[in-house]
Amino acid sequence: MTLKIAIFSFAHMHAQSYAAAIAANSGATLAGVWDADAARGQAMADLYKTTFYASERELLAQGLDGAVVASENVHHRRLVEMAAEAGVKAILCEKPLATTVANARAMVDYCAARNVKLATAFPCRYSPAFQSLLQKVQGGAVGKVLAIRGANRGKAPGGWFVDKALSGGGAVLDHTVHAADLNWLLLGQNATEVYAETGSEFQHAACEDTGFLTINYDGGVFATLDTSWSRPKNYPTWGDVTIQVVGTEGVIDADLFAQNLVCYDDTAGTASWSNWGSGTDTEMIADFLRLTAGQDAPRLATGEDGLRAVQIALTAYESAALGQPVPVASGN
Amino acid sequence: MTYRVALIGAGTMGGVHARHWNAMPGAEIVGVLDPRADAARAAGPAFADWDTLISQSKPDIVDICTPTPFHREYVEKAAAAGKAIFVEKPLSRSIEDCDAMLAAVEAAGVPAMSGHVLRYFPEFAAAKRAVDAGKVGKPITIRTARMAGFPDLGGRPNWYADPAQSGGLVLDMILHDFDWLRWTFGPVTRVFAKGLYGQEEYFGDLDYALVTLRFASGAVGHVTGSWAHPGGFRTTLEIAGDAGLIEHDSDRSAPLSAMLKTKGGAGGVAVPESPMAPTEDPYYQELAAFVHALQNNLPPPVTLQDAREATRIALAALESIETGKSVTLS
Repeated sequence: MTLKIAIFSFAHMHAQSYAAAIAANSGATLAGVWDADAARGQAMADLYKTTFYASERELLAQGLDGAVVASENVHHRRLVEMAAEAGVKAILCEKPLATTVANARAMVDYCAARNVKLATAFPCRYSPAFQSLLQKVQGGAVGKVLAIRGANRGKAPGGWFVDKALSGGGAVLDHTVHAADLNWLLLGQNATEVYAETGSEFQHAACEDTGFLTINYDGGVFATLDTSWSRPKNYPTWGDVTIQVVGTEGVIDADLFAQNLVCYDDTAGTASWSNWGSGTDTEMIADFLRLTAGQDAPRLATGEDGLRAVQIALTAYESAALGQPVPVASGN
Repeated sequence: MTYRVALIGAGTMGGVHARHWNAMPGAEIVGVLDPRADAARAAGPAFADWDTLISQSKPDIVDICTPTPFHREYVEKAAAAGKAIFVEKPLSRSIEDCDAMLAAVEAAGVPAMSGHVLRYFPEFAAAKRAVDAGKVGKPITIRTARMAGFPDLGGRPNWYADPAQSGGLVLDMILHDFDWLRWTFGPVTRVFAKGLYGQEEYFGDLDYALVTLRFASGAVGHVTGSWAHPGGFRTTLEIAGDAGLIEHDSDRSAPLSAMLKTKGGAGGVAVPESPMAPTEDPYYQELAAFVHALQNNLPPPVTLQDAREATRIALAALESIETGKSVTLS
């Protein structure tokens, strides 16, 4: 059987990569798209050879197996709950899962109560470089892990990403969740405390573009994380994800996007990196389709995983306001 | 004139200094004090005690390269004897000692410079020039990293492994970064740090620290210090501003990389090398800068006050590691 999958909103640019992965998968069909921006929705429907629906309910009435939600962050909850209510089997929600812990918790509970599988889009999990790092760390290559230094930086985004009313936050919320999720996989421990220095001097916008977090974990591991939108406009690529894992027996550095051609283009007047590393979205979408088909997809991040990461990011805002570390609330 | 130099301490750093003093026109080593007579003799004319050294070798400059706990004693002695003083970093393990040294130098009216040599490393000097020239616009986030193995003294008693004496890598190694950052980006107002310092089960073989700084300018800094990297040495630097970015990675700027067969024919390890002209060597440069200041009656380019401020940042980082709280610097 072919799984019928729909995409709700292309506000987040990752939706295009998900659409391409769904369209390319022989086990699934892109049954339709909805977008609050009709022109964008229609253009995407044309691009991926599917139907645009101006009404979420009309699209949900098409007997969908799965839904992908890639709207502005503040709309995640409404769309996820609407899809769950309509009886899809599984939902993949773009990160961050929500802009408040209460909303993230509500989404997880809402789906659980209806036996709908909720997944969070954390594609970095599927990076072969990260998988190799994870395997080495779990195999004891660095001995006992003592510290992790992470960074996930990018160029300044525009549009709704810098509009707090739609994004819920800037660089801290946008990037912390990825790295926090990778730390969770590496350590299997919960964060206990977060410290953060933030700022907004790159763009002078209302939301922060600078984020330096320090995270303490159960068991004593400490980690820092640079989430800043600090790459200049002419940086040769979009940004980076790097992780330094320090243990009693040595250190491993991972640079998830290091597999690049260096391209010097006289016509465009640019020097840029063209990444030839394995894409992550194809594997992630394949796992989501397994989940939708009722199979196990243990590598795919769950709603709980998304919630855990959101909690760390939001604690960072509290710390930045206080200038002191803040405990990560548990169990709410 | 030729400046007569007395070297106090002929260990790792003392040996480096001796090499450069001996190569420098206008300077000569006239006396060396070190409890290890062989090491002292290798660096220059050896003396058995301070009083004999001073009275017989008649130095103009006292260059103090002892382990940190001996700095105060020799700075005070050299100041009382009216000598120009070069003292290695860290100035001291405590602010009280720093203040005592500052007071001694001021009372004696002698010129004094501290060995914050990172300012003379060409990549860091060039980065500061680029920042000063506005190449990144307003600096907003700055990251530095200094990664090496735990210091090995080749069987000698390892004072680095005693946190009370060395302060670990926070006070001994990334103090360099703190000084360079303060020099380039201005005063630091808040420090938060995590590290292995004080964790007895690891410290001694390993140290690792991640330090976050807030500058008065609003910029945020992050310093990685590692004595947990087995073998090798690597530094990285990144300055992001609102109009540009500067990156440096020592692994990517080594003009030489040798990979040679070992005797048995097995594979070797790549050994990168980043050679500098002898007079461009940062350790030569800092000593030459001190001599230049003395010759021209100028203030030394790195003062003991600078050294005290860098020490204050490092001590705040250690306090933060111990208390788990951020530390505000006035």
